[in-house]
Amino acid sequence: MAKKPAETSETVLDIRGLTKSFGSNLVLDGVSLTVAKGRTVCVLGPSGSGKSTLLRCVNWLEKPDQGAVYLSGRRIGMREGGSIPMSSSELARERARIGMVFQHFNLWPHLTVIQNLAEAPIHVQKRNRDEVMAEAAALLDRVGLAAKKDDFPSRLSGGQKQRVGIARALAMKPELLLFDEPTSALDPELVGEVVAVMKTLAESGSTMLVVTHEMGFARETADEVVLMDGGRIVESGEPSAFFKKPKTERARQFLQRYVS
Amino acid sequence: MTANAFLSLLQGAGVTLIISLSGIAIGVPLGLVLALVRWRRIPGLSQVAAVYVSLLRSTPAVTLCLLIFFAVPTLGIEIGAWSAGIMTLAFVTAAFNCEVWRAGLLNFPHEQVEAARAFGMTPLLRLRRIIFPQLWRAALPGLVNEATLLIKASPAIAVIGVAEITRAATRIGAQTYEPLPPMLTATGIYVAIILVFVGLQRLTERRYGRGAGA
Amino acid sequence: MMHGFDVVWEHSDRLLWGVLNTIALSIVGAVLAVVFGALVAILLMSPNRLLRLSVQGLVDLMRCVPFLMLVYLVYYGLPHLGIDFDNWTAGLAALALYNTAYMAEILRGIWSGLPRETFEAATAFGYHGPRLYTRIVFPQVFLAAGPMLGNQLIQIIKDTAFLTIIAVPELTQAASGIQAQYFVPFAAFIAAILIYWALCAIVEGGVALIEKVAEARR
Repeated sequence: MAKKPAETSETVLDIRGLTKSFGSNLVLDGVSLTVAKGRTVCVLGPSGSGKSTLLRCVNWLEKPDQGAVYLSGRRIGMREGGSIPMSSSELARERARIGMVFQHFNLWPHLTVIQNLAEAPIHVQKRNRDEVMAEAAALLDRVGLAAKKDDFPSRLSGGQKQRVGIARALAMKPELLLFDEPTSALDPELVGEVVAVMKTLAESGSTMLVVTHEMGFARETADEVVLMDGGRIVESGEPSAFFKKPKTERARQFLQRYVS
Repeated sequence: MTANAFLSLLQGAGVTLIISLSGIAIGVPLGLVLALVRWRRIPGLSQVAAVYVSLLRSTPAVTLCLLIFFAVPTLGIEIGAWSAGIMTLAFVTAAFNCEVWRAGLLNFPHEQVEAARAFGMTPLLRLRRIIFPQLWRAALPGLVNEATLLIKASPAIAVIGVAEITRAATRIGAQTYEPLPPMLTATGIYVAIILVFVGLQRLTERRYGRGAGA
Repeated sequence: MMHGFDVVWEHSDRLLWGVLNTIALSIVGAVLAVVFGALVAILLMSPNRLLRLSVQGLVDLMRCVPFLMLVYLVYYGLPHLGIDFDNWTAGLAALALYNTAYMAEILRGIWSGLPRETFEAATAFGYHGPRLYTRIVFPQVFLAAGPMLGNQLIQIIKDTAFLTIIAVPELTQAASGIQAQYFVPFAAFIAAILIYWALCAIVEGGVALIEKVAEARR
């Protein structure tokens, strides 16, 4: 698999020193991470290591206790200056710049497949309906679900639901795509179709932050792999180096456990 | 509002309670009979019971009350307002109670009936010794809920002049040209009565679980 | 007795007028109650504890009051506040106000039982405020609410009969009028009851139809 170079050094996502506790449980302990334009970063780690919380802090679904998140240089969650929280409408506008794919798909059950794609672009981004519908149809074609456009989500298999979930995120034309364990809720035989879609996205230059247990995807597709444990990043690097010659003892243990 | 007026409201509350409880005392067993008829699929009677339940569940208590009070005498039967009121509430609540009892019967574990049959129990004996002792516990929360709804429907009988709370309140209002104080007081009395029933329902739910029809 | 039904048939226009009023009161009352009930449900789901508990208290209180009491309170109370209503409007106001509490409680119950993930997805996609409710939350709530809203509509139809006590010209009032004039109590009230039965059957049929549509969208 040909690795694309980091064409530019333009930073899309810049996470600085995020800290978050639930009660007395410290889930994120000063995590910093950057994702450059067009790159795919995979976050690995055992469950409870804080990966999902990190992702949810990026679009402020969880509010971090400390630290900052910048999207293309603009602060998320806090107004300029950093001491006043954004209003819900300001926050909503920033969230619309980030696409998110969920572990349990979270499709809107009352809308058909194509309506799921078109819903937020029309009603949040206020884009032209005809244009959005045409783009949505093209996106469904791209994930191989053009035939299902008028079905309701309850009629789809898990793999199909997740491909709709990905297309729904893409329909927002987001600057950044977040994937929260997108294959964890799928039957093993359905993982492949979702991973294939994610690979083509990564290769076509989308900027992606992916929390996953899918080691094959991380090894073959990621530009950078980050291992989290106990709320900290314990190791990061190119996948080839990480999987062949991990630098830390913690990474070696993790790989022994999770890579057969 | 004078103390006298308040006393007559309390008296009205007594009438409401007596008539409602009488309606419940007739309606609960009547509902059980209807439910058994439907459960045992007794030919003819079962269909009649089904129609009765469907019809009565759609009938406003006010309309039924007027029917009973004005039409029964044309059949040559003397009927007072109290009796008409009690009959109205009993007939209405019986239809709803039937559904509560029936849900309990339909949920009753079939193996137990089988076992009782294997021991040579007659249907009546099965009902008395095996089914009913368990059934009433399951049905109780649902029945208390229906009782609460019945109290809320009971002002319907004011339409034929039974001097229950609502009627007492309008009468005081008409005499004093100040309808609001007796109305608000009457509302307070209703709320108190209904809160007692809601509390009773919570208690039965906690003790006997969320019963079939609850 | 059959003679009675002939008399009622001769005056079927009066019954028809009564039914039309019953239907109008029920539908307008139900629509108002659903709209206000949805707004109250938003308050019942508020993260603000004080707001939530106080609104819940009001809703619970309303659900302890017999409908006829509220009719009287509206009928006598509003003129007291300087607002003058005719009987029809007073009846409608009472119907809408009373059922707002029931509708709010129905919608709240369904809302709190729905999985929260799709609401969170909407938040992540930039929804907030009223649009989150109108586009994402309430469509799902109403898809699940069909049978319960149907039951409540039947309750509303039955409640309209109470309005005869304040002389609103609805179905029971029409039947009473015919019976008082020609003394045909049996035929007049049986006819009314059968019409109520038919109305409720129509509601139940409608709910069954809606359920078929809703089935695919869950």
